[in-house]
Amino acid sequence: MIGEIFNWLGDMRNSKILALLIFFIGFVILLVFVYTGKERSKRLESYKNMPFLDDDEDEQKSSTTVKKDE
Amino acid sequence: MAHSMAAKAEYNYDIIKKFAAMAMVWGVLGMFVGFYAASELAFPFLNFDNQYITFGRLRPVHTTLVIFGFGGSALFATSYYIVQRTCQASLHGKGLATFTFWGWQISVALGVVSYMLGYTQAREYAEFEWPIDLLITATWLVYLYVYVMTLRKRSQPHIYVANWFFMAFILATAILHVFNNLAVPVDMFGMKSYSLFSGVQDAMTQWWYGHNAVGFFLTAAFLGMMYYFVPKQAGRPVYSYRLSVIHFWALVFLYMWVGGHHLHWTALPDWTSTLAATFSIILLMPSWGGMINGIMTMSGAWDKLRTDPVMRFLIVSLSFYGMSTFEGPMMALKSVNALSHYTDWTIGHVHSGALGWVAMVSFGSFYHMVPKLYNTKMYSEKLIFTHFWLATIGIVLYITAMWTSGIGQGLILRAFDSYGNLAYTFVESVSYLHGPYITRAIGGFLFVTGAAIMAYNLYMTAKQGKREAAEAAAAAA
Amino acid sequence: MKHDKIEKNLGLLMLFTMVVISIGGLVEIVPLFHINDTIEKVEGVRPYTPLELRGRDLYQREGCYLCHSQMIRPFRDEALRYGHYSLAAESKYDHPFQWGSKRTGPDLARVGEKYSNEWQVQHLVAPRSVVPESIMPNYPWLLKNDLAFADIADRLRALKKVGVPYSESKAEYEANVKEFGAEVAEMLDIQKAQENLIKQAQSGNYDGDANRITEMEAMVAYLQMLGTLVDFSQYDEGHFVQFR
Repeated sequence: MIGEIFNWLGDMRNSKILALLIFFIGFVILLVFVYTGKERSKRLESYKNMPFLDDDEDEQKSSTTVKKDE
Repeated sequence: MAHSMAAKAEYNYDIIKKFAAMAMVWGVLGMFVGFYAASELAFPFLNFDNQYITFGRLRPVHTTLVIFGFGGSALFATSYYIVQRTCQASLHGKGLATFTFWGWQISVALGVVSYMLGYTQAREYAEFEWPIDLLITATWLVYLYVYVMTLRKRSQPHIYVANWFFMAFILATAILHVFNNLAVPVDMFGMKSYSLFSGVQDAMTQWWYGHNAVGFFLTAAFLGMMYYFVPKQAGRPVYSYRLSVIHFWALVFLYMWVGGHHLHWTALPDWTSTLAATFSIILLMPSWGGMINGIMTMSGAWDKLRTDPVMRFLIVSLSFYGMSTFEGPMMALKSVNALSHYTDWTIGHVHSGALGWVAMVSFGSFYHMVPKLYNTKMYSEKLIFTHFWLATIGIVLYITAMWTSGIGQGLILRAFDSYGNLAYTFVESVSYLHGPYITRAIGGFLFVTGAAIMAYNLYMTAKQGKREAAEAAAAAA
Repeated sequence: MKHDKIEKNLGLLMLFTMVVISIGGLVEIVPLFHINDTIEKVEGVRPYTPLELRGRDLYQREGCYLCHSQMIRPFRDEALRYGHYSLAAESKYDHPFQWGSKRTGPDLARVGEKYSNEWQVQHLVAPRSVVPESIMPNYPWLLKNDLAFADIADRLRALKKVGVPYSESKAEYEANVKEFGAEVAEMLDIQKAQENLIKQAQSGNYDGDANRITEMEAMVAYLQMLGTLVDFSQYDEGHFVQFR
């Protein structure tokens, strides 16, 4: 039984399925990691404010309001 | 945030200004060449029996100027801007950054001149001959080094997600560029080389490159741009940071598998193209993950669409991103591809991505960034609106013309009469293309006109910024 | 201590990204390099002669691949219009491949011998004089320019380095005789490359000008051999399906 599994793993023809399995499992682990844990979620979502950290000095001159044509 | 004022003084804005200026120069030039090449297809006399400007030589000039000249310079500019501002650190290595500027500009210039002279590797989007490839490789490695060293100087442990996309773009482009350009030169002092691979392997390598040039150069990197400039312009943080993490990993993983869909029904083994088609369908999910994240970031700021033309560029770019990432997987279905492949439908699809997504998001980002670089406001808001409408109408004309010619030609070529003979000769399909080709050229003309207006507007903004700075300095003294 | 974490994050990000972006390419491309063991065996496919090779170089120089494909798909309309669908073996000496991605003009994979040399020359110089609806550019300079072939041996040598069986030694020549027959093997001899090119140009006289060897000579020689190497009447219908 174990031998069969090893044979299957060692066969190059199964490399595509194997690679897919590994990466799919990896992706599921990532999903679980990202979306579980209150603290972790909070920490991850806090990163979205990073672009605004150096904002203070250009708020007066924000280009969101462009100069009107006189 | 007391530290940020001090940090800002050290930002290297000079290099960003240079790249931004060259992006506009190459952009306007490249789009004009595209318009001219499109006109040659509608009116072949425009080739003027001049070997340097025939369609076959101008087409790579157009693609290189817009992808590498405009797109590449825009990415250098925005990535250098974003990495500094999200790390609150100055760019590493002033001289090295300047080297990336000259290395990149010289590569693009040498490339287009060499195509017109007839030197080409005849690989789509990788036509640069080997000496230029070497220069690009050197430039790219220095870019990677500058980027990594700047990230190491960041003020906090986490790296903002926009930089992840830029990092993936830089790494993937390095791999793609090196492997797709493996070749043996005929002569150490000549321009000609022969590719290392042949036939099936060469085709797969080329389209592995070709599609991932789209995936990493024209998508991942511009998503990096999106993840910074959309929140900034909307004044709201990104909708879901966790979604951006998930869709980043899914996107970079899946894109590398799909190149084979450019080779459906060819001599490429069936399993490869079937695998590529399958992954193309799955790719819809992370693509739309990014689109949803961008659009939802703007929700709550919809009122800005009425007053802020920059927001309009960004929202339209995300809409086109969503549309072309739906159209792409559909065209990767073997049955649809049987009709669409070899026709203008592909050209239309590329342009809905390239004009609608890549160019529009760059325009929006530049309208946000350039005034900040010069510490001023945009010279004219009216001209931004004008640009917006010219660009949008231009794209719509372009895409509908290409749908008409592509689907039409596909149907004409597979039509049979009641006796089971071919209903049309090939050249009848060519005459059919005439009308759509004229419409396409008009669409392209509107688009390049808009870009030229933008270049003028940005130029005047820079001038205004310099004047204001001089006045402020005089007042202070 | 905070600095350690910074380095770790960046290193991990780059490492994971590299792993994730490498896998797709590896899985799809690497197996293709074993394809030569499973590729269809067909008679007749051979490397290009020196003159044809120069024609192929010009085909690339002019960007022909941007409007013409060289890859016929297995559909009824394409079979009627162009002939048998293209086999992987038919482009195995193509560095680079020229399958193309767009048919603004027709597929050229089997255009060889469908038209006369005179027609090809006329069509390249002034396409609309023979096909009024054509939108192809004129290529009059092909007939005006003399063909540059001083470096033809270097070109064959470069191709030999990437695996095309052009011969330099006696042993390689003998191997080619066994593989392709004496007549073809002669053409693949690098020492005789220039001589062979001139000989083929003079005997073929593809450009209709007996006194000169123009670029047109090479271009037409190349076009006239496209798709002519495999004799499909030798094989049963459906024979190649097993290799797809």
